Amino acid sequence: MFLLPLVGRLCAESRVVPILKAIDENYKMKKDIRAEVTLTQQRAGQGTKIIDMAYFRRDSDDAFLIVMNAPENEKGNGYLRVGDNFWMYRINTRTFQHVNRDESIGGTDAHSEDFETRKLNELYGPAVSSGTEKFSEEMLGKVPVYRFEILAKVNDVDYPRQIFWTRRDNNLLLKQESYSLSGTLMQTAYFLKFTQIEGRYVPVKQMFIDEFEKGNKTIVEIANLVPGKLDDKIFTKAHLENLSK
Amino acid sequence: MLLIRLSLRNLLRQKRRNILLGSAMAIGVAILVVANSFSHGISDIMFNKIMRYVTGHVSVRFNERGGVMREIFRDKERALAAVKGEPVIEESDEAVGMFTRAIGNGRSENIILVGIDTKRNISAKAMKEVQESFRLVEGNWKDVENEALENPVIISSEKARTLNVKMHDIVRVRFRNMFGQDQAARLTVAGIMKNDNIFMQPVVFLELEKEKVLLGYRPFETGSLSLKITDPQKNAAALADRIHDRLKPGTAVIQAVVSGRAGSAPAALLGYKSDDESKAGIRALLKLAAGSFEKAFKKDGVFIPASLAKKLGISAGDTVKLRYDRKFFKDPKEASYTVSAVCSSGCPAGAVLMNDSAFYDLYYEDMPAGAGKTVYPAEKLGAWAALAAPEWILLKRTYNTDEYKKKYQEIARNKWKGTTIDVSTMYETASDILKLEYVLNVITLSAVLVLFFIILLGVVNTLRMTIRERTREIGTVRAIGMQKNEVRDMFLLETFFLTLFASTAGLVLGFAAMWALTLIPITMQDNPLGMLLVNGHLYFLPTFAGIAGNVLLIIAIAVVTAWFPARRAADMSPAKALGHFT
Repeated sequence: MFLLPLVGRLCAESRVVPILKAIDENYKMKKDIRAEVTLTQQRAGQGTKIIDMAYFRRDSDDAFLIVMNAPENEKGNGYLRVGDNFWMYRINTRTFQHVNRDESIGGTDAHSEDFETRKLNELYGPAVSSGTEKFSEEMLGKVPVYRFEILAKVNDVDYPRQIFWTRRDNNLLLKQESYSLSGTLMQTAYFLKFTQIEGRYVPVKQMFIDEFEKGNKTIVEIANLVPGKLDDKIFTKAHLENLSK
Repeated sequence: MLLIRLSLRNLLRQKRRNILLGSAMAIGVAILVVANSFSHGISDIMFNKIMRYVTGHVSVRFNERGGVMREIFRDKERALAAVKGEPVIEESDEAVGMFTRAIGNGRSENIILVGIDTKRNISAKAMKEVQESFRLVEGNWKDVENEALENPVIISSEKARTLNVKMHDIVRVRFRNMFGQDQAARLTVAGIMKNDNIFMQPVVFLELEKEKVLLGYRPFETGSLSLKITDPQKNAAALADRIHDRLKPGTAVIQAVVSGRAGSAPAALLGYKSDDESKAGIRALLKLAAGSFEKAFKKDGVFIPASLAKKLGISAGDTVKLRYDRKFFKDPKEASYTVSAVCSSGCPAGAVLMNDSAFYDLYYEDMPAGAGKTVYPAEKLGAWAALAAPEWILLKRTYNTDEYKKKYQEIARNKWKGTTIDVSTMYETASDILKLEYVLNVITLSAVLVLFFIILLGVVNTLRMTIRERTREIGTVRAIGMQKNEVRDMFLLETFFLTLFASTAGLVLGFAAMWALTLIPITMQDNPLGMLLVNGHLYFLPTFAGIAGNVLLIIAIAVVTAWFPARRAADMSPAKALGHFT
């Protein structure tokens, strides 16, 4: 019971929570979007693999559709999520199969949950040490940033602990370190380039560096991002099958 | 007796001819025995040296929310109770394993991290089988319990070579735990084993409890169960059926105290099935006094009966708090939900209904104290019996691989909110292996029958020559009183004994060939065919039924083939036979 005033004070004075909310607000699209996403995956000793996909997202229910365009062995495969249902489509068998949120997309490190919009503020809370949030002001190159640590509130997120670096002026996320349950640094993400769409900043170039297995790196580039109402028929199995032909 | 003595004596009269013919038959029998034993050996390896470790003779598989990697059952004691009291079960193991990415000294590779329970007592026979399948070349099995080492593991020599690690080197691993969270760990090489089977080479053994902690299991939770039993071919299906019967689920219910603005009251928390068909059934059953079905059918949707809502002083849109005792923790669980709808009629009496997705989140994560004991009375459930969420989903039994595959294709098409339980035997998950053995046996038998057809042509020809040479003898014995059928039987017995002695010689030759072949050491690193070897040698498993059956078949065919010339010899007129000149 004696912790309640302390917790109350934390909640009232948190510097992390408003930033998380701001990040959520910034990433929330008010319209549907379509985009082309390219993943360039470099693996130590295995060369580079380029994956192209078309991405459609409906804002009202966070439904999305992904159709793979490259490489050749993935072309035509797709993923469709509507409500609680998430399907994977395989062009060679022309069948749909229910998959889970941790399903790998096109054999990449990206998983379906990465394409969901989940509120950071609901998933994470500030990490606290001696009653104080782990929060500091730093410079990231020449950019003044806030550095803070967050811990997962739920157990179905990839990384239970993360460190964020966000711009002090507009709370844009510039760098993110992700840690495993055992506290090992697994991945560092850099958000290198942003574009403004409908008053929101969208990171159109992101780099994910595998800190566990050195030499692995993935670059995500988003192009031809077009906001605007998408026909509901796009988010149907029939449409995915048609696109895959 | 006279006929037998005569037949045996006649065999010795044409020694060279009969030895040559008998040798040809013996070679045919030897080929059949060796091929048959080899195909049976392949099945034995697949079932008893691979599948038995991969799945056990009988497996009870749990998948939470249908997730392939989420093999967890939240109440270990209850799972073990379903397999208790079965004398045919020799060992019961938790099958806990995970694919991981391992980084050694400058090299990386995929491995399968498997938990082993070295603390329990196993029979000498079981230990011997383990040591045969996983031969330690360095270290000791008990070293996985060494607390001085960080996560001590036993790794195959092939993977140690690939990862460039030796004894006491560190291997870093990365994987996703049971719940999809990224996890990393450091393992210490405490033992190195040799395994010819390419499919078992990626296996790295870690002590079971340590593995479970890494994967996110709590002490009262279990992975799937793998059972090894006596005489599996005879007992597996029946045992699986019995376990399946014991695992029939009841309705999942949480006895809780619910509180609102005006007070609190006891209530039963039930999950409602949220598939489209069930939702339609619920719409037809319930009349709402407040709120809407659209809101109530969402993932966090809650229906509350009007009588309870009135008692608690709440309505749609208000918060209801619930509190219940937990099975595995001392402190109770507390949670708050927003009431989505109030039902004026149709709700089960005294029950709060939650969307099964949210209900199972509570039920599995914080199992109620009454789980397994508290029963929601069937008469109270009524029409809700089909709509209320069960404790788990028990998949139907299947009896061969085709049915098993169809079952899992069907599963993939559905979305599961609860835990699915599947009880199966290794024979139905791998009935294709039995088919393979059957096909190999058919091919072998066909090939040998073709060979024997050629040999039997020789038998028929030899018999015809013999009868022609002994025509006057036949006339003589017929003249002194031997009957037709005795003449016929004499020739049949000659063929029978020739085939019997040749088969016996063929058996000895076959066993000698198998013994000699097993002496040859064969190295098949990185070759899938290596799984057909045991300790680097070919493996034959002769069976009495297989050998006896084949030998009897050969004898029967020879005797039937000899029937026609023997009958012709018997039908000869004694007078004509006596006057015959060759």
